[in-house]
Amino acid sequence: MAEVLNVRRRQTRGKRHARRLRQSGAIPAVLYGHGEEAVSLAVPAEQVEAVVRHGTRLVELRGEVNEQALVKELQWDTWGTHILHVDFARVSSHERVEVEVPIEVRGEAPGVRQGGVIQQLVHQTLIECEAGEVPEALVLKVNELQLGGELTLADLQLPGTARLLSKPEETVVQCVAPAEAVEEEEREEVTAEAGKAEPELIKRKAGEEEPEA
Amino acid sequence: MALMPKRVKHRKSQRGRIRGEATRGNRVVFGDFGLQAVQGGWISAATIEAGRIAAQQYLRTEGRLYIRIFPHKPITSIPLETRMGKGKGEPEYWAAVVKPGTVLYEIGGVSEEAAKLCFNRLAHKMPVKVRFIRRRTM
Repeated sequence: MAEVLNVRRRQTRGKRHARRLRQSGAIPAVLYGHGEEAVSLAVPAEQVEAVVRHGTRLVELRGEVNEQALVKELQWDTWGTHILHVDFARVSSHERVEVEVPIEVRGEAPGVRQGGVIQQLVHQTLIECEAGEVPEALVLKVNELQLGGELTLADLQLPGTARLLSKPEETVVQCVAPAEAVEEEEREEVTAEAGKAEPELIKRKAGEEEPEA
Repeated sequence: MALMPKRVKHRKSQRGRIRGEATRGNRVVFGDFGLQAVQGGWISAATIEAGRIAAQQYLRTEGRLYIRIFPHKPITSIPLETRMGKGKGEPEYWAAVVKPGTVLYEIGGVSEEAAKLCFNRLAHKMPVKVRFIRRRTM
Protein backbone atom coordinates (compact mmCIF):
# COMPACT_ATOMS: atom_id res chain seq x y z
CA MET A 1 0.00 0.00 0.00
CA ALA A 2 1.51 3.26 -1.12
CA GLU A 3 1.57 6.16 1.31
CA VAL A 4 0.33 9.57 0.17
CA LEU A 5 2.61 12.61 0.22
CA ASN A 6 1.23 16.10 -0.35
CA VAL A 7 3.76 17.83 -2.54
CA ARG A 8 4.04 21.25 -4.08
CA ARG A 9 6.25 22.46 -6.88
CA ARG A 10 9.34 24.41 -5.88
CA GLN A 11 10.50 27.25 -8.09
CA THR A 12 13.47 28.29 -5.98
CA ARG A 13 16.86 26.59 -6.06
CA GLY A 14 20.07 26.80 -4.07
CA LYS A 15 21.19 26.16 -0.52
CA ARG A 16 19.73 29.36 0.99
CA HIS A 17 16.26 28.56 -0.27
CA ALA A 18 16.63 24.90 0.69
CA ARG A 19 17.59 25.90 4.23
CA ARG A 20 14.60 28.25 4.49
CA LEU A 21 12.37 25.48 3.23
CA ARG A 22 13.67 23.07 5.89
CA GLN A 23 13.14 25.71 8.60
CA SER A 24 9.52 26.02 7.49
CA GLY A 25 8.98 22.28 8.06
CA ALA A 26 9.33 21.00 4.49
CA ILE A 27 11.99 18.94 2.75
CA PRO A 28 13.29 19.71 -0.74
CA ALA A 29 12.81 16.84 -3.16
CA VAL A 30 13.17 16.02 -6.83
CA LEU A 31 11.06 13.80 -9.09
CA TYR A 32 12.64 12.27 -12.19
CA GLY A 33 12.51 9.27 -14.50
CA HIS A 34 10.63 7.82 -17.50
CA GLY A 35 12.50 10.22 -19.78
CA GLU A 36 10.41 13.15 -18.56
CA GLU A 37 11.61 16.44 -17.18
CA ALA A 38 12.86 16.54 -13.57
CA VAL A 39 10.58 18.47 -11.22
CA SER A 40 11.72 20.20 -8.03
CA LEU A 41 9.31 19.57 -5.15
CA ALA A 42 8.74 20.39 -1.50
CA VAL A 43 7.31 17.71 0.80
CA PRO A 44 6.13 18.10 4.43
CA ALA A 45 8.87 16.76 6.72
CA GLU A 46 6.52 14.80 9.00
CA GLN A 47 5.07 12.90 6.02
CA VAL A 48 8.53 11.91 4.76
CA GLU A 49 9.57 10.86 8.28
CA ALA A 50 6.47 8.66 8.51
CA VAL A 51 7.38 7.00 5.20
CA VAL A 52 10.91 6.32 6.46
CA ARG A 53 9.58 5.02 9.81
CA HIS A 54 7.24 2.60 8.04
CA GLY A 55 9.93 1.52 5.58
CA THR A 56 7.64 2.26 2.60
CA ARG A 57 9.26 2.63 -0.81
CA LEU A 58 6.32 3.25 -3.12
CA VAL A 59 4.54 6.57 -2.52
CA GLU A 60 1.66 8.46 -4.11
CA LEU A 61 2.49 12.09 -4.79
CA ARG A 62 -0.60 14.31 -4.51
CA GLY A 63 -1.09 18.05 -4.91
CA GLU A 64 0.63 20.05 -7.63
CA VAL A 65 2.07 16.77 -8.98
CA ASN A 66 -0.03 13.60 -9.14
CA GLU A 67 2.17 10.61 -9.77
CA GLN A 68 3.35 7.36 -8.28
CA ALA A 69 7.00 7.34 -7.26
CA LEU A 70 9.66 5.25 -5.63
CA VAL A 71 11.81 6.69 -2.83
CA LYS A 72 15.14 6.38 -4.63
CA GLU A 73 17.52 8.11 -2.24
CA LEU A 74 17.52 10.00 1.04
CA GLN A 75 20.13 12.52 2.12
CA TRP A 76 20.66 12.77 5.89
CA ASP A 77 22.52 15.27 8.02
CA THR A 78 25.76 14.33 9.82
CA TRP A 79 23.86 13.11 12.88
CA GLY A 80 21.40 10.95 10.96
CA THR A 81 18.48 12.73 12.60
CA HIS A 82 17.17 15.06 9.88
CA ILE A 83 16.43 14.29 6.25
CA LEU A 84 17.93 16.93 3.98
CA HIS A 85 16.65 15.87 0.57
CA VAL A 86 14.60 13.13 -1.10
CA ASP A 87 14.93 11.69 -4.61
CA PHE A 88 11.73 10.26 -6.12
CA ALA A 89 11.78 8.14 -9.28
CA ARG A 90 8.62 7.92 -11.43
CA VAL A 91 7.27 4.36 -11.53
CA SER A 92 4.09 2.48 -12.24
CA SER A 93 3.18 -0.15 -9.66
CA HIS A 94 3.77 -3.08 -12.09
CA GLU A 95 7.08 -1.77 -13.38
CA ARG A 96 10.10 -3.81 -12.34
CA VAL A 97 12.63 -1.85 -10.30
CA GLU A 98 16.00 -2.51 -8.68
CA VAL A 99 16.13 -1.67 -4.97
CA GLU A 100 18.41 -2.21 -1.99
CA VAL A 101 16.41 -3.97 0.73
CA PRO A 102 17.55 -4.52 4.34
CA ILE A 103 17.98 -8.07 5.65
CA GLU A 104 16.36 -8.91 8.97
CA VAL A 105 17.66 -11.90 10.92
CA ARG A 106 14.95 -13.67 12.92
CA GLY A 107 14.80 -16.64 15.26
CA GLU A 108 17.14 -18.31 17.71
CA ALA A 109 19.92 -20.42 16.28
CA PRO A 110 20.75 -23.79 17.92
CA GLY A 111 24.41 -22.85 17.38
CA VAL A 112 24.08 -20.01 19.90
CA ARG A 113 22.91 -22.50 22.56
CA GLN A 114 26.08 -24.48 21.83
CA GLY A 115 28.13 -21.38 22.66
CA GLY A 116 28.45 -19.90 19.17
CA VAL A 117 28.12 -16.27 18.12
CA ILE A 118 25.91 -15.07 15.27
CA GLN A 119 27.68 -12.71 12.88
CA GLN A 120 25.73 -10.84 10.23
CA LEU A 121 28.07 -9.98 7.37
CA VAL A 122 25.59 -8.53 4.88
CA HIS A 123 22.93 -6.10 6.02
CA GLN A 124 21.18 -5.28 2.74
CA THR A 125 20.96 -6.69 -0.73
CA LEU A 126 19.93 -5.68 -4.23
CA ILE A 127 16.75 -7.23 -5.62
CA GLU A 128 14.58 -6.70 -8.69
CA CYS A 129 10.83 -6.76 -8.17
CA GLU A 130 7.61 -4.98 -9.07
CA ALA A 131 7.44 -1.47 -7.61
CA GLY A 132 4.21 -2.35 -5.82
CA GLU A 133 5.70 -5.29 -3.96
CA VAL A 134 9.01 -3.90 -2.64
CA PRO A 135 9.32 -5.49 0.82
CA GLU A 136 10.17 -3.48 3.94
CA ALA A 137 12.83 -6.08 4.75
CA LEU A 138 13.86 -9.56 3.67
CA VAL A 139 13.54 -12.09 6.49
CA LEU A 140 16.26 -14.65 7.11
CA LYS A 141 15.34 -17.36 9.61
CA VAL A 142 18.25 -18.79 11.59
CA ASN A 143 16.25 -21.47 13.42
CA GLU A 144 18.34 -24.25 11.91
CA LEU A 145 21.74 -22.59 11.97
CA GLN A 146 24.25 -24.83 13.74
CA LEU A 147 27.65 -23.91 15.15
CA GLY A 148 30.06 -23.46 12.25
CA GLY A 149 27.22 -23.14 9.76
CA GLU A 150 26.32 -20.25 7.50
CA LEU A 151 23.36 -18.92 5.55
CA THR A 152 23.71 -17.29 2.16
CA LEU A 153 21.63 -14.89 0.10
CA ALA A 154 20.09 -17.94 -1.58
CA ASP A 155 18.39 -18.78 1.76
CA LEU A 156 16.41 -15.52 1.76
CA GLN A 157 12.64 -15.66 1.34
CA LEU A 158 11.86 -13.40 -1.60
CA PRO A 159 8.34 -12.07 -2.08
CA GLY A 160 6.27 -12.82 -5.22
CA THR A 161 8.14 -12.29 -8.47
CA ALA A 162 11.22 -10.75 -6.84
CA ARG A 163 14.63 -11.78 -8.17
CA LEU A 164 17.96 -11.57 -6.41
CA LEU A 165 20.58 -9.45 -8.20
CA SER A 166 23.47 -9.98 -5.79
CA LYS A 167 25.54 -13.18 -5.82
CA PRO A 168 23.42 -15.94 -4.19
CA GLU A 169 26.47 -17.64 -2.71
CA GLU A 170 27.37 -14.55 -0.65
CA THR A 171 27.33 -15.35 3.10
CA VAL A 172 24.80 -13.32 5.08
CA VAL A 173 24.97 -14.88 8.52
CA GLN A 174 27.40 -17.28 10.12
CA CYS A 175 27.52 -18.95 13.51
CA VAL A 176 31.11 -19.03 14.67
CA ALA A 177 32.88 -20.22 17.79
CA PRO A 178 33.60 -17.29 20.14
CA ALA A 179 37.01 -15.64 19.83
CA GLU A 180 39.27 -16.50 22.73
CA ALA A 181 39.65 -13.77 25.32
CA VAL A 182 42.80 -11.69 25.00
CA GLU A 183 45.32 -12.76 27.59
CA GLU A 184 46.54 -10.38 30.24
CA GLU A 185 50.17 -10.77 29.16
CA GLU A 186 49.40 -9.65 25.65
CA ARG A 187 47.70 -6.52 26.97
CA GLU A 188 50.72 -5.61 29.10
CA GLU A 189 52.95 -6.01 26.07
CA VAL A 190 50.75 -3.62 24.13
CA THR A 191 50.99 -0.85 26.73
CA ALA A 192 54.74 -1.29 27.12
CA GLU A 193 55.47 -1.09 23.39
CA ALA A 194 53.11 1.76 22.63
CA GLY A 195 54.75 4.89 21.26
CA LYS A 196 58.27 3.47 20.91
CA ALA A 197 58.42 2.04 17.41
CA GLU A 198 58.34 4.26 14.33
CA PRO A 199 56.88 3.38 10.93
CA GLU A 200 58.99 2.95 7.85
CA LEU A 201 59.63 6.13 5.88
CA ILE A 202 58.66 6.10 2.20
CA LYS A 203 61.74 7.39 0.38
CA ARG A 204 62.38 8.16 -3.27
CA LYS A 205 64.38 5.39 -4.92
CA ALA A 206 67.94 6.16 -6.09
CA GLY A 207 67.08 5.96 -9.83
CA GLU A 208 64.00 8.22 -9.62
CA GLU A 209 64.24 11.86 -10.68
CA GLU A 210 62.63 14.88 -9.05
CA PRO A 211 59.12 15.43 -10.45
CA GLU A 212 58.93 18.47 -12.73
CA ALA A 213 57.02 21.43 -11.36
CA MET B 1 51.34 -3.44 19.22
CA ALA B 2 49.58 -0.08 19.37
CA LEU B 3 47.89 1.13 16.22
CA MET B 4 50.10 3.13 13.88
CA PRO B 5 50.73 3.31 10.11
CA LYS B 6 53.15 0.78 8.60
CA ARG B 7 54.72 3.29 6.20
CA VAL B 8 54.56 7.08 6.13
CA LYS B 9 55.73 9.73 3.71
CA HIS B 10 56.71 12.23 6.41
CA ARG B 11 57.75 11.64 10.04
CA LYS B 12 56.06 14.77 11.38
CA SER B 13 52.90 16.66 10.47
CA GLN B 14 51.55 20.12 11.16
CA ARG B 15 48.82 20.39 13.78
CA GLY B 16 45.98 21.53 11.52
CA ARG B 17 42.46 22.58 12.52
CA ILE B 18 39.37 20.44 12.90
CA ARG B 19 36.73 22.30 10.91
CA GLY B 20 33.17 21.28 10.09
CA GLU B 21 31.33 18.06 10.71
CA ALA B 22 32.07 14.57 9.42
CA THR B 23 30.51 13.94 6.02
CA ARG B 24 32.07 10.49 5.72
CA GLY B 25 32.37 7.76 8.34
CA ASN B 26 29.29 9.12 10.09
CA ARG B 27 27.02 6.09 9.64
CA VAL B 28 26.91 2.63 11.19
CA VAL B 29 28.19 0.35 8.44
CA PHE B 30 29.52 -2.94 9.86
CA GLY B 31 27.63 -3.59 13.12
CA ASP B 32 24.17 -2.81 14.44
CA PHE B 33 25.01 -0.03 16.91
CA GLY B 34 27.65 2.68 16.96
CA LEU B 35 29.38 5.23 19.15
CA GLN B 36 29.44 8.63 17.43
CA ALA B 37 31.67 11.55 18.46
CA VAL B 38 29.73 14.72 19.25
CA GLN B 39 32.88 16.83 19.52
CA GLY B 40 35.99 16.97 17.41
CA GLY B 41 39.44 16.12 18.72
CA TRP B 42 42.52 13.92 18.56
CA ILE B 43 42.15 10.37 19.86
CA SER B 44 45.48 8.74 20.59
CA ALA B 45 46.35 5.16 19.68
CA ALA B 46 46.57 4.33 23.40
CA THR B 47 43.05 5.69 23.96
CA ILE B 48 41.66 3.71 21.03
CA GLU B 49 43.28 0.60 22.49
CA ALA B 50 41.96 1.39 25.98
CA GLY B 51 38.46 1.70 24.53
CA ARG B 52 38.82 -1.59 22.71
CA ILE B 53 39.95 -3.39 25.87
CA ALA B 54 37.11 -1.86 27.94
CA ALA B 55 34.56 -3.00 25.36
CA GLN B 56 36.12 -6.42 24.84
CA GLN B 57 36.18 -7.12 28.57
CA TYR B 58 32.47 -6.39 28.74
CA LEU B 59 31.57 -8.29 25.60
CA ARG B 60 33.90 -11.22 26.43
CA THR B 61 33.11 -13.74 23.73
CA GLU B 62 29.79 -12.30 22.58
CA GLY B 63 29.23 -10.07 19.60
CA ARG B 64 31.86 -8.30 17.55
CA LEU B 65 33.53 -4.94 18.00
CA TYR B 66 34.60 -2.81 15.05
CA ILE B 67 37.06 0.10 15.36
CA ARG B 68 36.21 2.73 12.75
CA ILE B 69 39.08 5.17 13.33
CA PHE B 70 42.82 4.84 12.78
CA PRO B 71 45.65 6.99 14.19
CA HIS B 72 47.27 8.38 11.04
CA LYS B 73 48.64 11.59 12.56
CA PRO B 74 52.03 11.75 14.31
CA ILE B 75 51.94 14.06 17.33
CA THR B 76 55.27 15.57 18.35
CA SER B 77 56.32 17.04 21.66
CA ILE B 78 59.35 18.82 23.11
CA PRO B 79 60.95 17.10 26.14
CA LEU B 80 60.54 18.62 29.60
CA GLU B 81 63.07 21.21 30.81
CA THR B 82 64.15 22.00 27.26
CA ARG B 83 64.66 25.58 26.09
CA MET B 84 62.35 26.77 23.35
CA GLY B 85 63.55 26.72 19.76
CA LYS B 86 65.93 24.21 18.21
CA GLY B 87 63.23 22.93 15.89
CA LYS B 88 60.16 20.77 16.09
CA GLY B 89 60.00 18.01 18.71
CA GLU B 90 60.14 14.28 18.10
CA PRO B 91 57.03 12.14 17.37
CA GLU B 92 55.57 11.11 20.73
CA TYR B 93 52.43 9.22 19.78
CA TRP B 94 49.92 8.67 16.98
CA ALA B 95 46.41 10.06 16.95
CA ALA B 96 43.22 9.84 14.91
CA VAL B 97 41.74 13.17 13.85
CA VAL B 98 38.04 13.02 14.69
CA LYS B 99 35.44 15.43 13.37
CA PRO B 100 32.06 15.83 15.11
CA GLY B 101 29.81 13.07 13.78
CA THR B 102 32.51 10.44 13.19
CA VAL B 103 31.57 6.90 14.23
CA LEU B 104 34.35 5.69 16.52
CA TYR B 105 33.30 2.11 17.31
CA GLU B 106 30.58 -0.29 16.21
CA ILE B 107 29.12 -3.42 17.78
CA GLY B 108 27.25 -6.22 16.08
CA GLY B 109 25.64 -9.45 17.27
CA VAL B 110 24.43 -8.25 20.68
CA SER B 111 21.17 -6.80 22.02
CA GLU B 112 20.66 -3.04 22.22
CA GLU B 113 20.80 -3.11 26.04
CA ALA B 114 24.13 -4.94 25.99
CA ALA B 115 25.51 -2.56 23.35
CA LYS B 116 24.45 0.46 25.43
CA LEU B 117 26.12 -0.89 28.56
CA CYS B 118 29.27 -1.74 26.62
CA PHE B 119 29.48 1.69 24.97
CA ASN B 120 28.83 3.33 28.33
CA ARG B 121 32.01 1.72 29.69
CA LEU B 122 33.87 2.62 26.53
CA ALA B 123 32.65 6.23 26.50
CA HIS B 124 34.38 6.89 29.83
CA LYS B 125 37.73 6.33 28.12
CA MET B 126 37.07 8.81 25.30
CA PRO B 127 38.42 12.38 25.36
CA VAL B 128 35.40 13.62 23.37
CA LYS B 129 31.67 13.58 24.08
CA VAL B 130 29.96 10.69 22.35
CA ARG B 131 26.48 9.38 21.70
CA PHE B 132 24.85 6.04 20.98
CA ILE B 133 23.43 5.48 17.47
CA ARG B 134 21.70 2.67 15.62
CA ARG B 135 22.00 1.37 12.07
CA ARG B 136 19.71 3.16 9.59
CA THR B 137 17.91 1.07 7.02
CA MET B 138 16.91 3.72 4.45
